[in-house]
Amino acid sequence: MQFLQAVIIGLLIGGVYALMASGLTLIFGVLRVINIAHGALLVLAATMTWLLWRETGVDPILAAVATTPVMLGLGWLIHRGVITRLPQGSPAMTVLATFGLALIIEGVLNVTVGNIFRSATPDYFAQSFRVGGLALPKPHVYGFAAAVVVLGGLYLVLTRTWTGRAIRATAQNPAGAALVGVSGAGTAALAFAIGTATTGVGGSVLSVLYPFYPASHYDWIARLLGIIVLGGLGSLPGALVGAVVLGLAETLTATYGSLQWSTLVFYIVIMVVLLVRPQGLFGTRLREDALA
Amino acid sequence: MSALRLAGVTAGYDGGTVLHDVHLDCPEGTVTCMIGPNGAGKSTVLRVITGLLGADAGRVTLGGTDLGALPPEGVLRAGVAMVPQSQALFPHMTVRENVLMGGYLIRRDRALVKARYAAVADLIPIVAARAGDPAGNLSGGQRRMVEVARCLMLEPRVLLFDEPSVGLDPRSLAAVTGLIERLHADGRTLLLVEQNVRLGLRLATHAVVMESGRVLMHGPAEEIAGHPQIADLYLGGRAAVPAGQASEAAERRDDG
Repeated sequence: MQFLQAVIIGLLIGGVYALMASGLTLIFGVLRVINIAHGALLVLAATMTWLLWRETGVDPILAAVATTPVMLGLGWLIHRGVITRLPQGSPAMTVLATFGLALIIEGVLNVTVGNIFRSATPDYFAQSFRVGGLALPKPHVYGFAAAVVVLGGLYLVLTRTWTGRAIRATAQNPAGAALVGVSGAGTAALAFAIGTATTGVGGSVLSVLYPFYPASHYDWIARLLGIIVLGGLGSLPGALVGAVVLGLAETLTATYGSLQWSTLVFYIVIMVVLLVRPQGLFGTRLREDALA
Repeated sequence: MSALRLAGVTAGYDGGTVLHDVHLDCPEGTVTCMIGPNGAGKSTVLRVITGLLGADAGRVTLGGTDLGALPPEGVLRAGVAMVPQSQALFPHMTVRENVLMGGYLIRRDRALVKARYAAVADLIPIVAARAGDPAGNLSGGQRRMVEVARCLMLEPRVLLFDEPSVGLDPRSLAAVTGLIERLHADGRTLLLVEQNVRLGLRLATHAVVMESGRVLMHGPAEEIAGHPQIADLYLGGRAAVPAGQASEAAERRDDG
């Protein structure tokens, strides 16, 4: 029973991690930009959620309805103001610039709301659903539900709509996408904005599940990068699997080993997987001349 | 009637002018082949037509409509589609999705997209045969067929081919040339750039010879193929050109 409990908690946490990593992998897939600021944007959204919750008493996870459009707009602005001004095809520059952006966000949060630990604690904060002999913490269940809604929506948009197909086409072959009339610049802006918008929901869930402070973005970006590297950079299903692996690794290690080891185990898994499959779990291997 | 026409086009990059006063005329329903050595400006002509490179002077028109002011998407919408030399497909998307993406500009009309897809799949069997496979797992020849299929989704008035034969084995080449012949038989207007001059001239009704950014010669394909200078330079008519004749040929070229 203890094992089942740990697995279920691991899956719930994995779903939340997948939600947080989805935007990062989407942005990398389309723009080839590793957005180091993704963690800081999550913390920013979490802080906004916390303020909304404290001032109005609104449910923190439902507050995502308000924070998501803000993050969408912010994503569009960051793309317009920072990303498009960087030299094309220079990963080093995008890493430096978005790291700078993360520092700016961290600094602004330090100055405005202060460098202290926060956590949104709605009344269901410490409650659990009892199913059989299992205790499912309500915040985890609600967070997981929010993740399912966002990831499901993202999947439907990417596979069933022309906009989504244009995003995938641009990710796979920008020149080819231009040939059929897809605007590369427009698609990149849209993908960056949507990827950033996911931090609205991700930050809301974060604010309830994890205590945070302005500099906690370092922990988050490290985890999220680990997830998308494990899954295969740019792959959404890969991010899902990577996130579930991390969730299970952490929970099972914490249950049967110790809390200190729980994150380390995940990085050991990454190293082993990359030794066997350098392209990540879901980085598909095609004929080598597929994009020659 | 002329479908695509370039009149006095001069164009180039920051480094200097590549095309000098280029005239080109592709009558409706014909296959025009552009030949010339590397650096002659053939690909630059295609870039100007598709709107990737603006002309410094001259006009590019499609059935009388000026293409010069249009962005690449506008040129495509106006009816000029291109099958490029390098890979143009989306490797992780299925063949079906790839072909459907060709209808991106007509996406609002779902019935039309469906009808066009059915027609294209009918014309190019590989589309139906490999519909569910990732395009990245097709062979080079199969990919080129799918690229053509994708272009046909817009029923373009003019179809541009940049080096359709490059990198294909004989059997794939036969399939691609067969498709080009079929498109011509269906009355489409094609403009090819082809390094394989013998093949290009066989497929074409008209030919344009370019050199150093200028049109050296143009006319019916058989006439160009039979021209002694072309036979010498491109078709291996003679193993070597004696010095006197070579300079004479160069002089004539300058006149053209």
